[in-house]
Amino acid sequence: MTTAAQPTDVWEHELLLTGCQAVSHAVKLADVDVIAAYPIRPYTEVMDQLSQLIADGELDAEYIIADSEHSQFEIVKHASSVGARAFGGSSGTGWMYGMEALAVTATDRLPPLFLVGNRALDDPGAFGVEHNDAMSVRDLGWLICWASTAQEALEHVFIGYRVAEDKRVRMPMALAMDGGFLTHAQHMVKVPTLEAVKQFLPPYDLGDRVLHPDNPISVAPQVNEDWVMELRRQNWEAARRARGVIKEAYKEFNGVFGSHGSQYDNPYFTEYMTEDADAVLIGIGAVCMPTQTAARRLREKGHKVGYVNLRWFRPFPTEELRACLGRFKGVGVIDRDFSQGSPDNGGILLQDVRSCLYPLRGDGPNVINFMGGLGGRDISIDECIDMYERTLAAGRGNVPEEIVSWIGLRE
Amino acid sequence: MASPVLVAKDYKPEVPSDWCPGCGDFGVLTALFQACADLQIQPHDLLVVSGIGCSSNLPGFIRSYGVHSIHGRALPFATGSKLANGAMTVVVTGGDGDGYGIGLNHFIQAMRRNINVTYIVMNNEIYGLTTGQVSPTSEPGMKTKTTPLGNLEGMLNPLALALASGCGYIARGFSGQPKHLVQLYKDGIQHPGFALIDVFSPCVTFNKHNSYTWFRERVYKLEEEDHEVGNFHAAMDKALEWGDRIPIGLVYRNPKPPPPLDVTDPALTGEPLVHQSYEIDGDTRRELIQEFA
Ligand SMILES: Cc1ncc(C[n+]2csc(CCOP(=O)(O)OP(=O)(O)O)c2C)c(N)n1
Ligand code: SF4
Ligand SMILES: [Mg+2]
Repeated sequence: MTTAAQPTDVWEHELLLTGCQAVSHAVKLADVDVIAAYPIRPYTEVMDQLSQLIADGELDAEYIIADSEHSQFEIVKHASSVGARAFGGSSGTGWMYGMEALAVTATDRLPPLFLVGNRALDDPGAFGVEHNDAMSVRDLGWLICWASTAQEALEHVFIGYRVAEDKRVRMPMALAMDGGFLTHAQHMVKVPTLEAVKQFLPPYDLGDRVLHPDNPISVAPQVNEDWVMELRRQNWEAARRARGVIKEAYKEFNGVFGSHGSQYDNPYFTEYMTEDADAVLIGIGAVCMPTQTAARRLREKGHKVGYVNLRWFRPFPTEELRACLGRFKGVGVIDRDFSQGSPDNGGILLQDVRSCLYPLRGDGPNVINFMGGLGGRDISIDECIDMYERTLAAGRGNVPEEIVSWIGLRE
Repeated sequence: MASPVLVAKDYKPEVPSDWCPGCGDFGVLTALFQACADLQIQPHDLLVVSGIGCSSNLPGFIRSYGVHSIHGRALPFATGSKLANGAMTVVVTGGDGDGYGIGLNHFIQAMRRNINVTYIVMNNEIYGLTTGQVSPTSEPGMKTKTTPLGNLEGMLNPLALALASGCGYIARGFSGQPKHLVQLYKDGIQHPGFALIDVFSPCVTFNKHNSYTWFRERVYKLEEEDHEVGNFHAAMDKALEWGDRIPIGLVYRNPKPPPPLDVTDPALTGEPLVHQSYEIDGDTRRELIQEFA
């Protein structure tokens, strides 16, 4: 379905697209040079779409189907090191299979972009969403960002490459999207013109680190205790600098696209009905739909609740989120992931939110945790209402002894 | 009391198989029921292991021990099982993507080590479960979802690779001819060492090129020609034959098969590991204490 082009020079047209299709349009507009692929649901749709775009003559890129994710990620990494803008992706267990390559892509400080169509890890077999796949690279020097609409997914391909490739950053970028709910659901998506994208996203330039016959360098020699500390420190500094670069990128993005419809007030997260709220839920990805509807319904009844939709997970927006969540009495963290054996045996997001709030000590909100939607199980509006009510109660001081509760679990 | 005689339907579980109507994998499974019945393999003495793929769902559709492992890793799992319990009949099943793509390394290593398992590959020349992408056995020029203008890459030849890797039993079947398959399976299961049976098993949903008709027009049985199954070079010639005529049947059987790993490994001689006693006798214990005293 196509609607008439908007009369601006920023948007080319508006199309009915799935999340995966939106990403493939963006890959085309970002003028990606090398794509390596290996099928696994739900990511597969992107690679299928991209091969069609190439066959139709719409995208000029090298495209190879690797024999596994491990080789796929290595191909993407090496393409990136010779100065090609490279794209890869996977889901669930496929992402985990390529882990060795994912780790070195970060330590080699290369900036390809990967789509992670979030999927539960086997066993048992499950196609539905869970966030542990993308989160598994959280400690390795990756940028990790979640889109929660197809429009955001498209736009974050541009934002992602821009931040990742910036010479102050040069870190690989995982753009994550909830499997099924986002990868395969259709939305109306505004697709920008090539000119607008070019204005926002400069060409990829790896500078003096590019592998080229004219620039003889070697990558990843054996350095042991002589240099590893210093190299880790460089990663650390890059991850720190990324925060500023991200802010700059959104400012620029708003400048190019903002007056025409896509505007981000805050790069890191979006607040919904949080003004004057007593309690908020915070979550990642497609769960923003039922949580926002539930917030509206509760507001109609006079309950002061709101929702915080976290977009950037690495780098973690520590100060911004502390300032935001510090305003409320109760915070309920929704985890569509798990961290077995962690403090409180809760989710991964819980750990980060609590340590981010720790400096507030007694002045901070009471934090509780909800584990839900695992393996792709739906999180209903009623369940969201229940979570808000429990978070309101926690905000009033009724913090349960066991702060982690499971939502929608069959007894 | 002697066990009652087993017939093919004794291996059919209540769980229905989930393949598309017309999928070649049905023929592969039915032939396996018959081969197991002919050999009177008790379901509790049979382990069927797979990776991930439509074809790899097979262990769920046969009454035996079954493991649906991870993509490409059926053979390592089977290796461990066979080493732990050499008395079990271990049949490994999977697809071309699973075994000749992501798991290719294990395929070669298992043949080199001569693990005593029977490996049945449902070769539909496509990734079926992920809905129709090019596979390592897709023909050059073939149009798939990921190769809309035709496959640019060459085909992997599993039979030639198996010959070069020291496999002692190499056969090819066609799921459109399940009776013929039964014999290939039975000989493969009885072969002492790694046995490969590559089976043309059409994916009617995503591979419109290699259909039943396509295969029927091309395959011929080696048993009907005077092919020398014990001759390595004659076998290589047959392994390389592809085009208007494609051979099926027994391609190679090593006339002097070397003993499989579960026979040559000193720790496994005698009884299977699971049947060996955990106890150590007094003399050995005393020797050990002295050694570490
Ligand atoms: C590590 C990993 N990567 C990718 C997948 C997704 N995947 C499932 S089945 C399959 C290929 C199946 O092809 P094949 O083995 O030929 O089996 P068929 O479905 O054709 O029978 C893939 C790539 C996976 N399960 N695990
Ligand atoms: S998709 Fe193909 S291989 Fe899979 S069950 Fe259907 S016909 Fe068989
Ligand atoms: Mg296949």
